Amino acid sequence: MKQSLSLPLVAMALAVGLPAHAQNFAVSADHLYTMDAGLQGGPGLVLIRDGKIEDVQMGEGIATPNGYQAIHGAYVTPGLIDAYTSTGVSGAYNIPADQDQDESTDPNTADVNVRDSLNPEDKLYQYVNAYGVTTMQVTPGPKNPIAGVAGIFKTAGPNSPFRTVDQLVVRLNSAMVFNLGDTPKETYGSNHKAPVTRMKTAEMIREALLQARQYQEKWDKWKEEKSDPAKQPGLDMKLAALAGVVSGKTPAIFNVYRADDIDTAIRIGTEFHLKYMLASVTEGYLIRDKIRQAGVPCLVGAVMQPFNDLQTSNATYENAALLQQAGIPIAIMTGYVGYVPKSRVLLFETAIAAANGLGVDPALRAITISAAKILGIDDKTGSLAKGKDADIVVFDGDPFEYTSHVEQVLVQGAVTYQKGQ
Amino acid sequence: MQKTKVVLMAAVCLGAALGCAFPLPLVAQTDHDNNVLVIEGGRILPITSPPIEHGVLVIKGGKIVAFGEQGKVEIPAGATVKDVTGKIVMPGIVDSHSHIGIDPNPTVSDSQDGNEMSGPIQPALRALDAIDPADPNIRMATSGGITTANIMPGSGNVMGGQTAYVKLRGTTIEQMLIPGTIGGMKMANGSNPKNYGSRGQAPMTRMEEAALARGIYGKAQDYKARWDAYNKAVAAGDKTAKAPDRDLGLDAVVQILDGKRIVHNHTHRADDVMTVVRLADEFHYRVVVHHGTESCEVADELAKRHIGVTFTMIDAPGGKPETINFSISCPARLEKAGVKVAFNTDDPITNSRLLLRSAALGVRGGMSEDAAMKGLTIYPAEMLDLQGRVGSLEPGKDADFIVLSGAPLSVYTKVLETWIEGEKVFDRSNPIDLRYATGGFNVISRYPQLQGGGQ
Repeated sequence: MKQSLSLPLVAMALAVGLPAHAQNFAVSADHLYTMDAGLQGGPGLVLIRDGKIEDVQMGEGIATPNGYQAIHGAYVTPGLIDAYTSTGVSGAYNIPADQDQDESTDPNTADVNVRDSLNPEDKLYQYVNAYGVTTMQVTPGPKNPIAGVAGIFKTAGPNSPFRTVDQLVVRLNSAMVFNLGDTPKETYGSNHKAPVTRMKTAEMIREALLQARQYQEKWDKWKEEKSDPAKQPGLDMKLAALAGVVSGKTPAIFNVYRADDIDTAIRIGTEFHLKYMLASVTEGYLIRDKIRQAGVPCLVGAVMQPFNDLQTSNATYENAALLQQAGIPIAIMTGYVGYVPKSRVLLFETAIAAANGLGVDPALRAITISAAKILGIDDKTGSLAKGKDADIVVFDGDPFEYTSHVEQVLVQGAVTYQKGQ
Repeated sequence: MQKTKVVLMAAVCLGAALGCAFPLPLVAQTDHDNNVLVIEGGRILPITSPPIEHGVLVIKGGKIVAFGEQGKVEIPAGATVKDVTGKIVMPGIVDSHSHIGIDPNPTVSDSQDGNEMSGPIQPALRALDAIDPADPNIRMATSGGITTANIMPGSGNVMGGQTAYVKLRGTTIEQMLIPGTIGGMKMANGSNPKNYGSRGQAPMTRMEEAALARGIYGKAQDYKARWDAYNKAVAAGDKTAKAPDRDLGLDAVVQILDGKRIVHNHTHRADDVMTVVRLADEFHYRVVVHHGTESCEVADELAKRHIGVTFTMIDAPGGKPETINFSISCPARLEKAGVKVAFNTDDPITNSRLLLRSAALGVRGGMSEDAAMKGLTIYPAEMLDLQGRVGSLEPGKDADFIVLSGAPLSVYTKVLETWIEGEKVFDRSNPIDLRYATGGFNVISRYPQLQGGGQ
């Protein structure tokens, strides 16, 4: 390989050479953003022990206690959370060998799970860690109306240079992904297979959810009737996976762009009483009142997305701000990218939202504590609070400023990225 | 917008040996040619001279006629004075690689005209015949501070066609074209032209790409020799001399060999960059390396030949194998080796509203702020042979400038106004213009509540 100073190579080299166990750190900051209760951005200190946050102290000039390695940064934030991305299943080379996000052989692949595609050794998986992402919800791609099961993972593990999926899991089966809009019908319609239209996409999803409900009822009834092995209903992996969605155990995520597709998602979510959220939500700002009334959280996707089709032609940098100001819980996501750049950088996307009406504090919130709450992982990460995972990003300046740098990234108390090494 | 009278010449002679090429607007006169506009009070960044804290810029007839410190520059009587105290004024940004107008918004197959995939060598094609001046991407580009662009065919072909050097104004391509320019020539190597291979057509390999390029240059050398012999015979009074058959494509390639047309070569991998260099050495033509993802690996080879790189700043490596070693530190390494680096949008690959951001990421990657600012202005102007007209604020140059709310390389800074030849083409305080800066212009008429913006 040629000599290169690229960040991912540095990250890779460093990760391999990391100590096997997390150390104890005292991270001091001129501007500490805990994203916990209280004022943000003042000086403070975070103590890390055994991969967890031991204590947080606000104030100037707090001495580093004995037994802790000191780290100082101009700005310190919690590790960033990408609420919806195909990084890890859609590899950097973008050749068939490393594209494992879309099982587009059947419009209903409710039985597939990103866990079985995830490649933590992919260059982009480590690249995003170097820009502060410590946790992400990895999702199937945009092609199937029922695309499969997402999972939430760390971007690096403290325990081993061998990052197996199991070492990285924050939560498996975090959501079932449904795709509406242009992409599913373009995927199948061009081969004269269903769905050819939006009508059919909606119908296929409704039909599958209805069957899943009946399937669940059959099993419930069988259990009520003493589980006679002779009368056990047949097992169907797709319906079993969707049964979790109709029962509210597994959240549904509708990946949607156009306003009317968002409306369709709300219609289906309401009909089946789903626990659900919206992803991408490109035209969400146009029907934000309806989204707020439905009480649906939004994973606002790729702020700098190109206008690569009709359904994204109304994208605006102000979408996140308009949704947030309407009182809708938001996170920011990077989603799936088909070409260049193959993964989007959450920090960069959020910076544009921050500078276009959202503001620094709400923008940081959208990629830390708000994302954690929406994904239901705020007991583990998303803010710098006692007992949570020591997922931390150290910056040399305003996190969103173009010319600032990420200096260190810590995942569960281990340094997974160090600038210049 | 100011009414513009365009004087069309029937034809402009571009090379004695070749006769006359396509018509071009020679002079664009505006109704207020004698009006004087003064931009006063802001911090002026002329780029080719030191910043002026409280500056004055005097504009007449679409040109800069004077600039300097407030109080030291004479303000002509009757001038329209515009106070920009607290703001930053810099030259209009020059985008040396764009597909606005030729791959318009929204991206649907009917409207995409960048790649003529019927054959890999297309020197007769002119981008100007496929540019839609009504493409909203052009207004979006002005909202990002771009005033001049090199609009190019795509990278699907080894020789993709003639590029167009334009100002981002006007309703016809004739109004957009910069008078006196003939554009460059788009070339590409590496993986994109190899797409022909999937149809069983050439090129299927990098070897064939280079062979096709050498083939067309060899042919052009021969064509030029025949014309030279004919012109010599005519000059010597030979009335029987027969003119060689005219070839539109070879006319354009001869302009490359004559040094009148610069080759703009899409290339990523270091070995592909060296193939670009090898061809330029062999046929003695002027070339600019476009994208140059791994160009920093061969920076010394570029520096010693004075070949510049116009870099496309993408946010992550990959997307295709030849960009897998992308790094934001590449421009910094080129700068250290003495290579001039411009930043381009490659719109729609990166958005024209964010070209300032690309330069800022160059600084994040270790580049000096001075080189990054030049990479938005005077360096790309040089790469298009336009340094006499644009790329800096100097007397005699076009009055293309932008007014910024703060430091040019900050995420929080907004382009407030964009001016081309003394006329305002973008004003952020205008609700419609604001929608081009933020997005959502397609739906603004249906959603009047958006007109005020989200801030």
